[in-house]
Amino acid sequence: MTETTLQQATARPKDAPWLSLKYREMLEAWLFISPTLIGFLIFFLGPLIAIVYYSMTEWNLLTQQATFVGLDNFHDALFVNPDFWHVVRNSVIFALGLVPLNMALALSLALALSRPFFGVVFFRTVFFAPVITSAIAWAIVWKFLLQGEAGAVNQMLAWVGIDGPNWLREPNWAMAAVIVTRVIKMVGLNMILYIAALQAIPRDYEEAARLEGASRWQIFRMIIWPLLAPTTLVIMVITTIGSFKVFDHIYQMTGGGPENGTLVLAYYIYQQGFEFFDVGYASALAMIMFVIVMVLTVVQVTVRRKGME
Amino acid sequence: MKAARTYLTASALAIGLMSTSALAEELRFTVWSGNEAHLKMLNGIAESFKATHPDVTVKFETIPPADYTQKLTFQIAGGNPPDLGWMMEDAAPTFAKAAVLMDIGPSVKAAEGYDFGDLSQAAMGLWQDGDKVYGIPFSTSPFMIYYNKAMFDKAGLDDPLALAAKGEWNMDKFQEVAKKLTEANPGKWGFEFKDGEGYASRVMHALMPPIRAYGGDAWANGECGLDKPEAIAAVTQLHDMVFKDKSIVPPGEQGDYFSGNSAMTINQISRASKMPEAGFAWGIAPLPAGPGGESPVIGQAAIVVFDQGKQKDLAAEFVAHMTNKENVATMAQFFPPARKSVLETDTFINSNKLIPADQMKNLSAAISAGKVLPSHEKSPQIFAAMAPRIDGLWKADANVEDSLKAVCAAIEPLL
Repeated sequence: MTETTLQQATARPKDAPWLSLKYREMLEAWLFISPTLIGFLIFFLGPLIAIVYYSMTEWNLLTQQATFVGLDNFHDALFVNPDFWHVVRNSVIFALGLVPLNMALALSLALALSRPFFGVVFFRTVFFAPVITSAIAWAIVWKFLLQGEAGAVNQMLAWVGIDGPNWLREPNWAMAAVIVTRVIKMVGLNMILYIAALQAIPRDYEEAARLEGASRWQIFRMIIWPLLAPTTLVIMVITTIGSFKVFDHIYQMTGGGPENGTLVLAYYIYQQGFEFFDVGYASALAMIMFVIVMVLTVVQVTVRRKGME
Repeated sequence: MKAARTYLTASALAIGLMSTSALAEELRFTVWSGNEAHLKMLNGIAESFKATHPDVTVKFETIPPADYTQKLTFQIAGGNPPDLGWMMEDAAPTFAKAAVLMDIGPSVKAAEGYDFGDLSQAAMGLWQDGDKVYGIPFSTSPFMIYYNKAMFDKAGLDDPLALAAKGEWNMDKFQEVAKKLTEANPGKWGFEFKDGEGYASRVMHALMPPIRAYGGDAWANGECGLDKPEAIAAVTQLHDMVFKDKSIVPPGEQGDYFSGNSAMTINQISRASKMPEAGFAWGIAPLPAGPGGESPVIGQAAIVVFDQGKQKDLAAEFVAHMTNKENVATMAQFFPPARKSVLETDTFINSNKLIPADQMKNLSAAISAGKVLPSHEKSPQIFAAMAPRIDGLWKADANVEDSLKAVCAAIEPLL
C-alpha cells in the first residue's frame, strides 16, 4: 500500500464528529455534573481545605492579622482550655438525650400513621409542620411557654398540682427543655422517613406471620424492625450529626446558659469566631467537631452493619 | 454630515455621563435604627450636606442592633466596610484597638465653624486616645427611671419624680416603693430591668446603676470592682428585691413595663417613643441615689469612620457636618447630645414632645454628671466569662458575695 493510499484510508470522514462516541459521552457527563462539581469545589471543598489552614493560625477577624501557630490551637482546646471539655460534655448529653428520644417518637408516630385511616393526612401534617417552621420563631414561642411561674407549661402543671421548675434558668432543666423542644420540632422528618420505609415493606410478610400465629409484638420485632434497619441507620446518623450541629435553637432559647449548662460545641465555635473574632481558634474547634462527628458516624455504621450480619 | 453630527452628540453625551458619574459619590453609613422618624431626620441631614457637597449622597443602611457589631465586622473582614457608621460604647475599645477606625480629629477640627471644644470632655473620653479622635458621640443617653403613674396612684405613693424633688429618691426608697407597688398591684411587679433583659444581654444595665449609686464600679484600672463592698451591698439589695420582696421581675419571667406589667423600669430617652402606645400616664425620673451619691449611668453611641473605607476623608467631612451645632440640635429630639451648648439650651429641654421640660432638665443634668457604662477592648470575652457566674448569682439561695468573687476571678485575667 502506498503512503497516499494509507493516508486516504485513515483520514477522518469530512462529516464525522470530532470526538468518538466514548469521549463525547464522557464530555457530556462532565458537563452535566459540572455545575454541581463547581459548587462543591467552591463552597465545600475549598472552605474545608481553607479551614485546615485557618485552624493552624491565630487570626483575628477584625484586625485581619494571621500568624501561623502550628497545632497550638488544638493543644489549647484539648489540653488547656477547661471550657472545651465542658462544652463537649454538653454536646454529648444533648445528643444522648435527643437521638433516642427523637427516634423512638418518630418510629411510634410512623407506626401509628403509616396505615390509612380517616384524618391520617391531618395528623401527619400536624407532626411535620414544626419541621418547616422557622427555628427562631419556634424557639421564641417555647421560650415564652417555658417561663417560670407565669409560663403556660407551668400553669398547666399547676392545674394537676405539680410545681414546675424555672425551665430555662436551671442548668439541668434547661438542657432537658432544649432537647425536648428540639425533638418536637424535628421528629416529623424522621417520622416521614419511617413511614416511607414501613410502606415499602410487603404486606405479605406480615400476613404470613399472622397466619402462623405471630403476635403484633413478634411481627414488629422479628419482621418490621429488621427490615427497617437500613432506614434506622440513616436516621441515626443524620440525627446524630444534626444534634452535634445544633445552633439556632440554643442561640435563641438559652444563649448557652444558664451557667453554660447548654453551651454546646456549635454555639461555642460561633462564640469564638463571631463574638471574640478568633477565627483561627474557632476553625480548630470546627475541625475537632468534624472529627468527632465522623468518628461517631463510622462507629454507628460499623456497629449497625455487624449487627445486620 | 448628519452622521458626523450624531457621532459628536453621542460622544458629548457619553463624556457628560462619564464625568457626572466620576463626580457623584455615595457614602455608605450603617445604623442600627430602622425607625422611620430617625431615618427621615438622618436623610434630612444628608440632604443638607449637599449645600457644600452637591454630588455626594449618603445612603443609610440599617442593621438590626442584635447583629450590628458582627455584621459590621464581617463587612470589614470581607474588604467591604461602610464608609462610616454608628458604634456602641461597648464595641468602641475593641474596634479602636484593632486599628480599623480612622483618626477623624484633624478633619473635624479643620472643618469650617466646627466647635470641637464644645463637645463635653466627659462624653468624649471613650472616643479619644491622646490626640487621636476615633468617633464623635451622637447619643449620650443617660439611664432614667420610667414609672407608671397609675400604679403609683393605686398604691397611694409619691412617684419617683416627686420623691426626687423632695430629695428622698434613694436606693432604700426605691426598694420600699417597689415592694409596696407589687403588693398593691397583684400579679404585677414593682420594677423590671431594662427591656426585661437584665439577667441576659443587659446584665451591665441591670447592675451598674445600683453599683454606681453605692460608689462602686465593675472594673477600673485593670482591677475588678464587683467583689468590693460597694458592689456587694448594691447587688445584695437587688437580690433581696428579686427573691425576698419579689418586687423585681424574676429570672425566666416576663413583666413588660410598656405593657403595664411593671410599675418601673430603667431605660433611655429613645424608648419614650413607645409610651404613646402604652396607654397609661407615665413619667421619667433620675436614677435613685445611694451611699455614693447621685451617679447617673450613661449609654453612648458615636459616629465613626472606617479606616479601610475608600472615601474616608469625605466620610470624615460628613461626620463634621452631622455633628455640628445645628445638626446636633436637630438630633437632640431622639439622641441626647454631647455638645454643651445644645445641652444647656431650651431647644434641647423642649426638644422632645413626649417628655415635659422639667423631666428633660433631669435628663440634661444626668448627661452632665453621668459616667459612661464600663467598656474594655476585650468586652466580648469579659461578658462571656461573666455570664455563667452571673447566672449562678440569680438564684434564691445564692451567696451574693461568693458569686461576685467568682465573677471577678473569671474576668480578672482579661482586664
